[in-house]
Amino acid sequence: MTRNLICTPAEHRVTRRRFLGSAAGAVGLGALANPLVAEELKKQRKQVLFVWLDGGMSQLESWDPKPNTPFGGPYRAINTAVPGIQISELLPNCAKQMKHLALVRSVSTQDNSHSAGVDRIQRGDPKNRGVTYPFFGSAVAKLVGDGDSGLPPYIWVKPMNGGFIYKDAGFLGPKFGALALGDGKPPENLLRPKDITADEDDERNDLRKLLDKNYTKDRRAELTEANSYAYEMAAQLQKKIELFDLSKLPQKDQDRYGTHDLGRHMLLARRLLEAGVTFVKVTSYGWDTHGDHFNGAASLHPKFDKPFAAMIEDLADRGMLDNVLVIACAEFGRTPRINGHIGRDHWPEAWSVAMAGRGIKKGGVVAGKTNANGTEVPHDPVDVGGLFHTWFRALGVNPEETSYRNAGQPLPIAHEDMKPVKEVLA
Amino acid sequence: MPRTLLVAFALLSLGTRAGAQELHARIDAHVEAKSKADGVPLSAPADDAEFVRRAYLYFAGRVPASDEAKAFLADARADKRAKLIDQLLAAPEYATRMTDLFHVMLMERLGDNAEWTKFLKESFASNAKWDVMVRKMLRADPKDAAQPGAAFWLAKRLDNYGQNPVDYSGLTRDVGRLFLGKNFQCCECHDHLTVDDYKQQHFQGLHTFFKNTYLASNTKWIVGEKPTIEKTGFASVFTKVQMATAPALPGLMMIDIPAVVKGMEFSEQPDRKTGAPGVLKFSPLKEISERLPTKTNADFTRNSANRVWFLLTGRGLVHHLDLHHSRNPPSHPELLDLLAKEFAARDFDIKFLLREIALSKTYQRSSKLPTGAKEAAHPKYFATALERRLTAEQLLQSVIVATGSDAKAADALRAKYVKAFANQPREPEEEVTPSLKAALFVLHDDAVLGLLKPTAGNLVGRAAKLSDADATDALYLALLSRAPSADERAAVGKVLAKHPDKRAEALGRVAWALLASMEFGVNH
Repeated sequence: MTRNLICTPAEHRVTRRRFLGSAAGAVGLGALANPLVAEELKKQRKQVLFVWLDGGMSQLESWDPKPNTPFGGPYRAINTAVPGIQISELLPNCAKQMKHLALVRSVSTQDNSHSAGVDRIQRGDPKNRGVTYPFFGSAVAKLVGDGDSGLPPYIWVKPMNGGFIYKDAGFLGPKFGALALGDGKPPENLLRPKDITADEDDERNDLRKLLDKNYTKDRRAELTEANSYAYEMAAQLQKKIELFDLSKLPQKDQDRYGTHDLGRHMLLARRLLEAGVTFVKVTSYGWDTHGDHFNGAASLHPKFDKPFAAMIEDLADRGMLDNVLVIACAEFGRTPRINGHIGRDHWPEAWSVAMAGRGIKKGGVVAGKTNANGTEVPHDPVDVGGLFHTWFRALGVNPEETSYRNAGQPLPIAHEDMKPVKEVLA
Repeated sequence: MPRTLLVAFALLSLGTRAGAQELHARIDAHVEAKSKADGVPLSAPADDAEFVRRAYLYFAGRVPASDEAKAFLADARADKRAKLIDQLLAAPEYATRMTDLFHVMLMERLGDNAEWTKFLKESFASNAKWDVMVRKMLRADPKDAAQPGAAFWLAKRLDNYGQNPVDYSGLTRDVGRLFLGKNFQCCECHDHLTVDDYKQQHFQGLHTFFKNTYLASNTKWIVGEKPTIEKTGFASVFTKVQMATAPALPGLMMIDIPAVVKGMEFSEQPDRKTGAPGVLKFSPLKEISERLPTKTNADFTRNSANRVWFLLTGRGLVHHLDLHHSRNPPSHPELLDLLAKEFAARDFDIKFLLREIALSKTYQRSSKLPTGAKEAAHPKYFATALERRLTAEQLLQSVIVATGSDAKAADALRAKYVKAFANQPREPEEEVTPSLKAALFVLHDDAVLGLLKPTAGNLVGRAAKLSDADATDALYLALLSRAPSADERAAVGKVLAKHPDKRAEALGRVAWALLASMEFGVNH
């Protein structure tokens, strides 16, 4: 039996307060003197990997194949490592990891437009209370906390531009926004110019902090705090610059994950999770296959299959599946009916979400099912509110007992009329 | 001391207009009455150092140069603040600064254009009236050879961005937000769900002015109009009841669409060869440009006054700026009425309104909390000056002036500063929003660090020739328009003592710390 080396975890965790308090500074794992404490902290981590397949991956060519039915398409279903569970032949690597996965095949949501759907799903589609709810990443950053990485709690690896995306945070306020790493690259200007030494850098920043302390002494503190937070984040990221250098990783890793965007970004995500980041979102674009869907899927799905399976395997090998909740999701699935362009359109009525890891039942589970042709969910459809209940539970946060407070108003963290999918919870 | 000066000044100015209380005094009466009624203590007047920095940043778009700050601090005249305001309002930099301020507010980083800049700059240099400016923007008249740039406001919003179709809904939303103070975005498909005053009819009526406009040239930014011959049909997605509207300003009568014989809509036909859009007999743009920016349109007068107030104080009397409605009343209802009335009575003279607000004790209050106050009062009281965001241009010009760099350097650095400090397109820059991107820029980019390397003529180079105490004073005056506190002086002294052989570089780092401080990065 492991002795709990940490009396009050709060004291050791890098809390947002301490991030902000310029005097205390931020303490990363590496700075903790006692390696046993560091190990213990690692075990207590609660983390999330949220893979977002923007545009909507077809459930019929992935988690819920319906071969030899009117809408089933040309691909076969294959056996997985778990007897009795079959998935599409386009995900052969995931099939091998099935014992770690849990599928919900009865997802049925409300919005079939991208513009509104992306927000609705990622905000958990709660009842309208006249406030903007946080994205799942911001919610977890708030409810689970900063973790021990010394890095911002919500990091978003995505193609194209990066930046700090504060609108994700909704009413929680800009600090719970996403630090987006455009194309998985570190932010611009991250590296200190060579002609400034570390000591000189500390010297000038100490003076800056003194000025900010004096300035804020008899003024409102919030803005200066937010500004200090930005500088602290800059300092922390600089210390982690090696995270972004994937070239130093074994060639084998790069081969297993793939050198395409999603492969590289998933590998970076693994590194960020290893470093202790609370919530990592990886976005892949281009899944909106309205035309030539089946050729599209033949090239797209392997780009998901390889790195996702490699990630599950690596997290399992490292014992990290006990800490990291893994979710693969999109704003909706795709229509069973095949349109005139040999494409599949938007289909929120019946689709699938895959999950694994922390709080999720092991051994390979499937919850819920669609009808024979995959067109609808005949019994107990699961809306995204139910998924939020499931995910929060998996993270050890009870939505029945936990609520946000916004301007004095208590707000439920997940749609109060919905329930978790118990079949997939450990 | 400053307080007695102000009182003396107030008495003086009251004396000049026997009986008729000036607008700035009436502003203060309203603000003070409310804070008194609610038991909210007011901050002391800003001291001279705080004021001179605030005024230069606001009206000249940059921090005061050392000699300007020094001259003001040494000036013993009782009315030196009013004198400075008048001097800054008359200076050539005023038009440049207002151009930046209004460009950022009106275009929200959608794009920029030389003719547009010229239109704004000429308008502010000649103190063109606000209603006239808005009329030109909404009319977007291709026949206006003198100021074709006015059309850019509308034209840019009719441009495609990326693969998206022309965002007519966004254009309608922006007309409502920026010129009427009402965001009707949520009313495109149904009456507003949470704001009872905002109806689908309002959105659709406003939309009907613009739905037939198009971009005739995206190089010359020429706006064309196709004939509007019938009402716009619409139905709420909830009630499905069919409705129809002619062009109409929210809450006002629909405009009659005249019956025209098909083929006779134009008094001057569009020319396919030259791309000239022609002249319509019935032009909805002409209608809205004549009807919206008027003294009798309360939405226009109140929104205009509220936005000018916001630009100076950092918060609208109605907050948020584009949510004027009956359940979101102004913090000081009589004050907004007064400002709107006076602004209209002065034919929307922007300079007049800016000057009166700037002369008020409310504007000139310190950003430090009242003595003994543990926490700040709600910002709606204007009891303590709010920190105002600096635009990328204000930061750039301030860095150039403060570091004693060549003014010409600004042009090469502008794009970098905009990238580091501006918001994304379509995001209003109304609040101070510190960001990682900006912090990394200040920490590591040569566009900042390069200006702090000692040269013969720049701030750091000149300071390097002074004693420690004088060099510290020089840096503080140039960057923060004030003297260092005792602990700051000691901290700087320590740094300099550590680097006797690389003193100029050490001074550069001290200057950096001042430049990177919150105090430099906002108008406080």
